[in-house]
Amino acid sequence: MRAPREIALRINGASYVGRAEPRKTLADFIREDCGLTGTHLGCEHGVCGACTILMNGDAVRSCLMFAVQAEGAELMTVEGLADGDRLHPIQQAFWEHHALQCGFCTPGFLMTTLEFLRDTPRPTDREIREGLSGNLCRCTGYQNIVRAVAAAADALASTPHGAVRPAPPDAAADPAAAGTGRPARKRRAGASQSRVRRKARRRGG
Amino acid sequence: MRLEGTNTLPAPVETVWRTINDPDALRGCTPGLTDLSPTGPGTYAAMLTIGIAAVKGTYKGTLTITDKREPTHYKIILEGSGGSGFMRGEGTIDLEADGDATRVKWTGDMQIGGLIAGVGQRMLGGVGKMLIGQFFKCLEQRLGPGA
Amino acid sequence: MKPAAFDYEAPETVEEAVALLGAHGDRAKVLAGGQSLVPLMNMRLARPEVVVDINRIRSLDYLTADAGVLAFGALCRQRAAERSAAVARLCPLLGDALALVGHAQIRNRGTVVGSLAHADPAAELCAVLAALGGTVTAVGPGGARSIPAEDLFVSYLTTSLDPRELVTEARFPALPRGAGWAWKEISRRHGDFALAGVGVVLAVRGGTVAHARIALIGVGPTAVRASRAERSLVGAAPSDGLWEDAADAVRSEVEPDADIHASAEYRRHVAGVLTRRALVEAATRARDAA
Repeated sequence: MRAPREIALRINGASYVGRAEPRKTLADFIREDCGLTGTHLGCEHGVCGACTILMNGDAVRSCLMFAVQAEGAELMTVEGLADGDRLHPIQQAFWEHHALQCGFCTPGFLMTTLEFLRDTPRPTDREIREGLSGNLCRCTGYQNIVRAVAAAADALASTPHGAVRPAPPDAAADPAAAGTGRPARKRRAGASQSRVRRKARRRGG
Repeated sequence: MRLEGTNTLPAPVETVWRTINDPDALRGCTPGLTDLSPTGPGTYAAMLTIGIAAVKGTYKGTLTITDKREPTHYKIILEGSGGSGFMRGEGTIDLEADGDATRVKWTGDMQIGGLIAGVGQRMLGGVGKMLIGQFFKCLEQRLGPGA
Repeated sequence: MKPAAFDYEAPETVEEAVALLGAHGDRAKVLAGGQSLVPLMNMRLARPEVVVDINRIRSLDYLTADAGVLAFGALCRQRAAERSAAVARLCPLLGDALALVGHAQIRNRGTVVGSLAHADPAAELCAVLAALGGTVTAVGPGGARSIPAEDLFVSYLTTSLDPRELVTEARFPALPRGAGWAWKEISRRHGDFALAGVGVVLAVRGGTVAHARIALIGVGPTAVRASRAERSLVGAAPSDGLWEDAADAVRSEVEPDADIHASAEYRRHVAGVLTRRALVEAATRARDAA
């Protein structure tokens, strides 16, 4: 009952299968077993928001969930925002408004903003600040982030389809896209994290 | 963190003094104190498992009783460290006769550090007071009519 | 910061969950939203041997309004409650307080029942349950029992629940017809634990206060009702002076702790200020049902 078990879920439209102990957090599973390191670990106790992902459409703190709890779920991480080379309008707005410096908090802000603008498409300044209150940034002082979210709201309101869609299920696999339909990396006992990641890159993953 | 209070115990000063110098009574009444073994005059090795609801931590350390002014005053120093942090407390106890009972005036100066202090700041003072309250309640029962 | 190892159970029925809790007692912890438990586990301040994940018990995912009572199953997420039309219609005090519970991401997973069972001294929902005279239903080895708010919250993070009990439901009575309400709290940043918070329910009939409830958070080991202040309001005519007096009564009734976030004096003072503001707002909402 504490032994590793198989966990199957979908991230950004692709299927992943991995093995993890029940105590492994969803954030660690996404990063280590699925190779998607865009989701960041800031505090690991639910305060900073750097680990924010969407689970079944809801923004959640992935450091406060165990991977086993996400069995069968549809997740979306920051890697699922861009469409190939085209930045998502929220990413574009962050870029244009200099809403990131080191970028560590940014994936969390992007995923929070994705849900926030879906639910509040025409937010006031105050609503933006309150909507982002669950994400901390140590670099920017927040002003540019707030501007970027306001700009993203405008951009999304004026795009042809308005609403944001999650990445479509993979058809022809794009070799550059991480984890397209192939099984999640299995951690070999004793293998260090960095060795696993380096091996993945060499494989062209 | 400074705490202080006054509690009344239903026994004369000499009886209370004997009780609060008795390692058995201290072991029995200090919440979470699972071990108290003498290591020298007035010093003990102590093991404290303390917690509120699901939040528990074990601290290993020492308890020292000094500054004795029989039968009304001593200073108690409790130091411990464990996985969730460390703590150092210095307290004074002063006994005063109140008819057949004893008024106990206590003060405590606690330093708590580590993880539990970092995230538990909101409740440390209150929980500390509560645990000290439990200590005196237990002494009350030991000294009370049924004792 | 990674949690210590634990045995993981994911029952699919209430009976299975209760059987597991009965077997493991205080070695087990219930996992619902996890927004309070998992941080403690990640920091290893809590190290349950067994985690009973109730998120697969679909029968606990409900929010119903029946005969003037809102019932929340143990899996009803705070966000669902926040957005519920029934809550807005029958119990807007709850809706207002919910909007200030943590942040959106926390409310997406956190549950109404979980917040009550966790009994944080600064938890909004605990004060709302107290203000409305709500109850929780706990199921244990001996069967089910109903626990009113005043018997549920015992101390810091401590309830009267037995470790072998699973809270399956929380019941919040609707506001009395025509009653006014208000929730006020203060914190340094939006979403922080409140330094002090007040929930107020006020009903006026024939020009005098017929019903008054004042419940506070952040001013003691649990959410508390300011009973003396409540009694001072009933039968009196609404006026600015009356709200001031009630605020003073609250100040003299509460015994707040001091910590690095705020002194006891500050909490005491602010509790009074928020009470007065809440009463003023509740009074403007109350419709005299003479």
